[in-house]
Amino acid sequence: MTQKITIGPFSPELEESVYFKLEADEERTITHVEIINGFIHRGMESLVTKKNFMQNLILTERVCSLCSNNHPFTYALAVEKIAGIKVPMRAEALRVIADEVKRVASDLFNLSMLTHLAHNHELMRDTMNTREHMQDLKEIIWGNRMDMSANLLSGTKYDLDERKIKLILETLDIVEPKLRDLQERYETDEQLRKKTVGVGVLPKEDALEIGVTGPVARGSGINNDVRVKAPYSLYAYRPKLRPKVTLREEGDVHARAMARFGDILEAVRIIRDVVADMPEGDTYVEKRPHIPAGEAVVRTEAPRGELIYYLKTDGSQKPVRMRWKVPTFTNWEALKVMILGDKVDNVTMILNSIDPCISCTER
Amino acid sequence: MSKVVPKVFRINTGSCNGCDVEFVAAAFVDKFHIATSDVEFVDDVKDANLLVITGPLTARSESFLKNALTKLKKPFTVVGVGTCSVSCGIFRDSYAINGPLDKFVDVDVNVAGCPPRPESIAEGIAKGIKVLEQKLSGEVTPKTIDTIFSDFSAPASFRGRMDLNPDMCTGCRTCETVCPSTAIKIEENEEGFIHNIWHNSCCYCGNCAYFCPTGAIFSTNSFDTVKLQNEKFSDVNVANIPFEECSCCGEKYMPPSRGLLGKSYVHDDVNKLNTNICSKCRKEANFKRMYA
Repeated sequence: MTQKITIGPFSPELEESVYFKLEADEERTITHVEIINGFIHRGMESLVTKKNFMQNLILTERVCSLCSNNHPFTYALAVEKIAGIKVPMRAEALRVIADEVKRVASDLFNLSMLTHLAHNHELMRDTMNTREHMQDLKEIIWGNRMDMSANLLSGTKYDLDERKIKLILETLDIVEPKLRDLQERYETDEQLRKKTVGVGVLPKEDALEIGVTGPVARGSGINNDVRVKAPYSLYAYRPKLRPKVTLREEGDVHARAMARFGDILEAVRIIRDVVADMPEGDTYVEKRPHIPAGEAVVRTEAPRGELIYYLKTDGSQKPVRMRWKVPTFTNWEALKVMILGDKVDNVTMILNSIDPCISCTER
Repeated sequence: MSKVVPKVFRINTGSCNGCDVEFVAAAFVDKFHIATSDVEFVDDVKDANLLVITGPLTARSESFLKNALTKLKKPFTVVGVGTCSVSCGIFRDSYAINGPLDKFVDVDVNVAGCPPRPESIAEGIAKGIKVLEQKLSGEVTPKTIDTIFSDFSAPASFRGRMDLNPDMCTGCRTCETVCPSTAIKIEENEEGFIHNIWHNSCCYCGNCAYFCPTGAIFSTNSFDTVKLQNEKFSDVNVANIPFEECSCCGEKYMPPSRGLLGKSYVHDDVNKLNTNICSKCRKEANFKRMYA
């Protein structure tokens, strides 16, 4: 006998609103999945064309607060490509630092949600507390815990002095041992392994076919990290900076979590490398540059995977068209493969394992 | 009277997930007090008596929110978290937004911020609990509730409530142009310019402060944004930038601010430069000096 189960749209287990209609058999194994979305649609693509380039620096940040540095970063890259602006090296370095700090915080949040859903509260608390160090760092240097407002067209808004660099290094010194300890615990914790190993499997063939990106792809043994495959910004100038990504073959929830840990530790390494060798010079070219008519496509690696921006301008103060392809858009399709044939109780955990950014996807 | 156990349920009506993440931080990190106080997080909306609602209320969520509200038992309290739940903030004027929240729900406490600090969210929930207690005992909710958690502080660099130094402002409207959430409005009357900052629309991005040519508008590190609903429309920063009367023709004009003059005349004492003369008369005087 099949039973019909609905999850959402408002549920404490779901970070963002999404609505699942499931059908399951007697053993609560899922036989049919229907995902209904659109709850977070705020009409972003229309809004960006109503606002000028300076306002869009902030609006793109509000597409999603977890990858809120990547959006304005990619947007700025697109604008600079159209305007032909060469960004000073110091600004490139500052952008990468902001980006990697954000990556650590974003991935840690996802991992703490995973342990929350796996009912491992001790591990969750420790992950959240480790993340708090990064949050405090963001608040002191950039002025906000989530939306850093670091980017400017043609550079960055902020600069780092000796004192701030020291603070970053001190924070990393506290966080890194904690991260290694957490990684060990995530790898070996019996209770967590029981809940996550073999759950929500995405085989490599399916992963390739669907075209998943980011840690989801890395959890299935595919490396398509944009920072490695098509380096941009400082990654393009300094090959040593490019991350040595962690690949896992299992393709389950646990593998994706461990791939994220690899990302986090590499991000810490990247921040240290950049800070150790900061280029001198200006942090921006012009506060309010002129943007001529043109078109550009840019892609970067967000904490969740490949982020693509398409931008079209006509020489006026506002963009004519701006379009996103966000990582969750492709990863979302993989959900159907992952959820089908798994248990109903695992659905929210599998959803969390692709680190869904629904606000990015539905905009 | 028996003690009230607040049962919290969070509803996301289309937020960018910043507030939701900060809510989780507020709920599970000890230093923000909620984790250690008697707050219960319920799994079903029908058990809740304290709703935390984030997001600007998208068109798609509206019917689901209404449906959820019918399941609640009265009395309950609603805490709107995030600027967009208070006023739609940066998403205002979008075709997909039906908010703000108070069109459909009786909101009791508003927590502005983009996203608010977990400290503010904790404060908002604590104030929500107070309102709930009053509702249960049939008392009238007072106009203001004092700050409950007094031990929170913010680093000096925190981008909090904006403020304006009218001495430095010339009303050039740069801040109005770059503000993404239209929280700044500059009006003009016979006396001068009136500079308004709506704290409940502000998304605390610091764009205005960054682009301001004279540093007249700046962010303070105050995160005191938890307000009761009756304070919603009065939470505005108003500054007057008066015109000056020209000493030659007597016409009223907007003098350049000290900050602007300081940028143009780097080597001079700015206070001595301004001789109360409008640009028209200054041109005439200069013309006479050079050619007459």
